[in-house]
Amino acid sequence: MRISVMSQMQRSFSIDLPSLIPLQLPSHEVKSTSLLKRYSQLLSPIEKDGVDQMRGDELKKNALLARTLVRTTISRYQTNKEVDPRSLMFKKNVYGKPEVDWQNCNNQPLHFNISHTDSLIACGVTVHVPVGIDVEDKERKIKHDVLAFAKRFYSADEVNVLATILDPEVQRKEFIKLWTLKEAYVKALGKGFSAAPFNTFTIQSMPGTEGAYNLCKTSEVTADPPEETKKCNGGWKFALFDLADSHYAAVCTEDDQANEGAPTKIIVRKTIPFVEDQLISERIFL
Amino acid sequence: MASLSTTSLSFKASSIKSTRISQVLRKPSSFQSISFGRFQSSKSLRLQISCAAKPETVQKVSDIVKEQLALSADTALTAESKFSALGADSLDTVEIVMALEEKFNISVEEADAQNITTIQEAADLIEDLVQKKPAA
Repeated sequence: MRISVMSQMQRSFSIDLPSLIPLQLPSHEVKSTSLLKRYSQLLSPIEKDGVDQMRGDELKKNALLARTLVRTTISRYQTNKEVDPRSLMFKKNVYGKPEVDWQNCNNQPLHFNISHTDSLIACGVTVHVPVGIDVEDKERKIKHDVLAFAKRFYSADEVNVLATILDPEVQRKEFIKLWTLKEAYVKALGKGFSAAPFNTFTIQSMPGTEGAYNLCKTSEVTADPPEETKKCNGGWKFALFDLADSHYAAVCTEDDQANEGAPTKIIVRKTIPFVEDQLISERIFL
Repeated sequence: MASLSTTSLSFKASSIKSTRISQVLRKPSSFQSISFGRFQSSKSLRLQISCAAKPETVQKVSDIVKEQLALSADTALTAESKFSALGADSLDTVEIVMALEEKFNISVEEADAQNITTIQEAADLIEDLVQKKPAA
């Protein structure tokens, strides 16, 4: 699976790639008006409306970059021919999750999901399996008390893990990591938040691994007295890692039944469409 | 049928002041309208009964949203303002809901929390929950 990351705050530099047209590079952010204009030409009328609905120039630009990243990223991963990013069509599944409308195929050859923060947009692409991705600024401040927030929304097991962390900074960071993992799962599931309320599942780190996590679902067994059982089977795979030193990224993919339990390879690239593209990392997650 | 409509009419009428009717008429997208023949005192008047929240509630919600999203004090928010258009992500939405719970002393179901997308929807849900609370 590949993740393309676009950072608004990047200092850019030029890379000569045969498939990219060299353009004047923005020094600090993507702010070249000619580049932004080129991006807006990729968007469908509905997407342009979506951009216009955003309140304020920064949010409008963010929305434009997000759609641009989705279109250019997906169009890169076509095997047989050059796909014009403009030609891609999108639809929503019955729960509102955006998907590519492949028109002639019944099963989705490529899945994608997108997440953005103020300064970074990430788009994840997978082959054949649903994917969810969430990125958060590591320094994001939570306005409420972290434990109170967790007790309200997270599962009891997750609250217990957070409660054992004494340093408030470390606790806040763990809270954010959990948030990204849980968000990534709900987005991968693609059935909306009510299908998987945050307090009905636990994501726990797998001991002895770095960045690998397990999903445990709590369900009530009708018995007298009613019991809660926890099922921690596979079905979904998680990976958590740093992006640009400034963000946490969590990725969730459905476990491919054919390759159940096989490790996941994640390739991260930093990109400014039409301008640059840089391999950041290739990692295997168990 | 006649008694049913009378019952429902009297329920709603008791909570409507004349100022709300005029407010309601300005926001066609946010209410369900019921018109009753006997109340058509003038040809152009349709009594429109709404579940729209009070302006004060909308204002309080706007204040909380501005604070959570760090918007400048003079950002113009309307009841129709969408959280996502203001730059709120799902974490912001959840924090806004928590702040609303504290402010109004209510408890929001998680499914409802995630379905709130505009200031109006938040205000409507709040008033609905406040109304359902047992009398203090």
